[in-house]
Amino acid sequence: MGKWKIYTPEGVQDILVNECFNKRNLEDKIRKVFSSHGYYEVETPIVEFYDVFSAETDITPQETMFKFFDGQGRILVLRPDLTIPVARVAATKFKDTNYPLRLSYIGNSFRYNELGGGKQKEFTQAGVELLGVNSPEADAEIIATAIDALLACGLENFQLDIGQVEFFKGLMEETGLSSEETEQMRLLVDSKDFVAIEELVKVHDIKDHLKELIFNLPGLFGSIDVIDRVKEYPINRRCINALENLKRVLEIIDDYGYSKYVSVDLGMVQSVNYYTGTIFRGFTYGVGFPILSGGRYDGLVEKFGKSSPATGFSLGINMIMMALDRQKIEMGKPVIDSLICYKKEGRKTAFEICETLRKQGLSVEVDITGAGIGEIKKYAEQKGIGGILFVPDSKNIEVHNVENGDIKAVSIDELLKSGGAL
Amino acid sequence: MRYLTIALSKGRLTELSVQLFEAIGLDCTELKSSTRKLILQDEKNKIKFFLAKPSDVPTYVEYGAADIGIVGKDTLLEEGRNLYEVLNLGFAACRMVVAGPAELYGKLDQLNNKRVATKYPRIAREYFEHKRRESIEIIKLNGSVELAPLVGLSEVIVDLVESGRTLKENGLVVLDEIADISARLVVNRVSMKMESERINRIIDGIRKELEKR
Repeated sequence: MGKWKIYTPEGVQDILVNECFNKRNLEDKIRKVFSSHGYYEVETPIVEFYDVFSAETDITPQETMFKFFDGQGRILVLRPDLTIPVARVAATKFKDTNYPLRLSYIGNSFRYNELGGGKQKEFTQAGVELLGVNSPEADAEIIATAIDALLACGLENFQLDIGQVEFFKGLMEETGLSSEETEQMRLLVDSKDFVAIEELVKVHDIKDHLKELIFNLPGLFGSIDVIDRVKEYPINRRCINALENLKRVLEIIDDYGYSKYVSVDLGMVQSVNYYTGTIFRGFTYGVGFPILSGGRYDGLVEKFGKSSPATGFSLGINMIMMALDRQKIEMGKPVIDSLICYKKEGRKTAFEICETLRKQGLSVEVDITGAGIGEIKKYAEQKGIGGILFVPDSKNIEVHNVENGDIKAVSIDELLKSGGAL
Repeated sequence: MRYLTIALSKGRLTELSVQLFEAIGLDCTELKSSTRKLILQDEKNKIKFFLAKPSDVPTYVEYGAADIGIVGKDTLLEEGRNLYEVLNLGFAACRMVVAGPAELYGKLDQLNNKRVATKYPRIAREYFEHKRRESIEIIKLNGSVELAPLVGLSEVIVDLVESGRTLKENGLVVLDEIADISARLVVNRVSMKMESERINRIIDGIRKELEKR
């Protein structure tokens, strides 16, 4: 019995002291970025009805979800994603709110991911959704917010690739390929499989200029002039609109001062059934997967009963932690400033000192073992606590410097005024 | 400069891959020496090479443990990894086929309850279930797949065929072709963006070299 009690299931992890400290720090920084951009945080349940996600087979395929049943036999899932629940919230709980509506979240999601490269089955996502406005300004705001979040995390070398799914959809419309062939083409473009694209293009009766453009599609990434290169082709209105929209988004990003972080990728065609406009992904060194992704999904909120354009992004906190670690970016450690120990006569005074120092923002640990100063020093040293305050009675305090062994006698006043600097 | 890491498939692709990299000016001296080191370097170009079991190469590349890989299309199809497949290198060419006894030729449809022996369960399933829309029973084998129909383990097989001699000598024929197979150059999705300049230089170099051949 109880054979598995000392283990955790594969794909979920304990997050211990230093790592947890860093993770909370990152979450705090990201939360601050979100709120400083005017996004209100919401919390949605970890357990949702399967129906919430079942239609979005691009984003949350059925086989990736943890499922179980409620008392009435309805299918429940552990949320595989947070954008979709936020869309549900927006369409139901905020249906009478004035738009634009800015919402943010930080929480855990669950998927039957294959493990490795930083992927886990339980992972933390942080993101924002901007609802009610379909404009390049909205798209650019989301992208700029994503960049601010990455910068706040301490990352400097990263890149956001921006694409436009409407461009691909417009091209495919022009070719007259069936939806099945379009999907086949999408997969090939998405994997930059030039060889197979050429073969597929050859067997269909497509205009020559279009053939050439489709064949070049996987290579159409880089700086903004990619867009101008494509504009030389005779493309349909849908494609032109897509390119113009993309260009405007890039212009706004330039005014944010963030041009150096973004580049264009017209061959980015993931989840085209879900996304309806500008899409983007973030990359950095040391991680083989995107650290964030997002885009415009004007059709999603409607499925929950209220039609509303929307755009947003989510970033993977675990991926960012891996990137920071791989790029050797210092994240700090939790620190205890002082350990306070006392004799019975000094107890009340000790607690008063504790209270004052804590109010000053220091972290103070109280010795509850009653051990001798020698033992306490050993403990402090091992835990990395710099100073010990020994309070023998209500008048006297000894400050023990753990690192160099100095002992100083000070008065309460001196100590409190020093702000723990002694 | 960061190192770029290239994963090579151990086996028949190794030699051909090394020739190709040498032709475009990478230093493969360490790679050709009989060292026991697992990771070999080209210091000048800041490139690391390692050899891996072919079926592991797509995994290394997908997870970003390697930026670039050379691997057979058969392995790519079987592993189904999420990566960029940027070049057909043309070498190690062969075909993935369905084969079986000659009396089944043209009658594959009529066979109820197909048992398919293969080293490539994913490719077999994909082909039968998605292309032919038929249910099958897969029997996973690790070698000498041609044996299976001969001893009644399966009706047909899905396997790689180069010359077709083994099939012929055992009275089997190709019943249908699934895909043309050859070596491919694959690239991690993030590396392609973060190191696009250096990786594109390698891709262009190889492309030019292939055109010469």
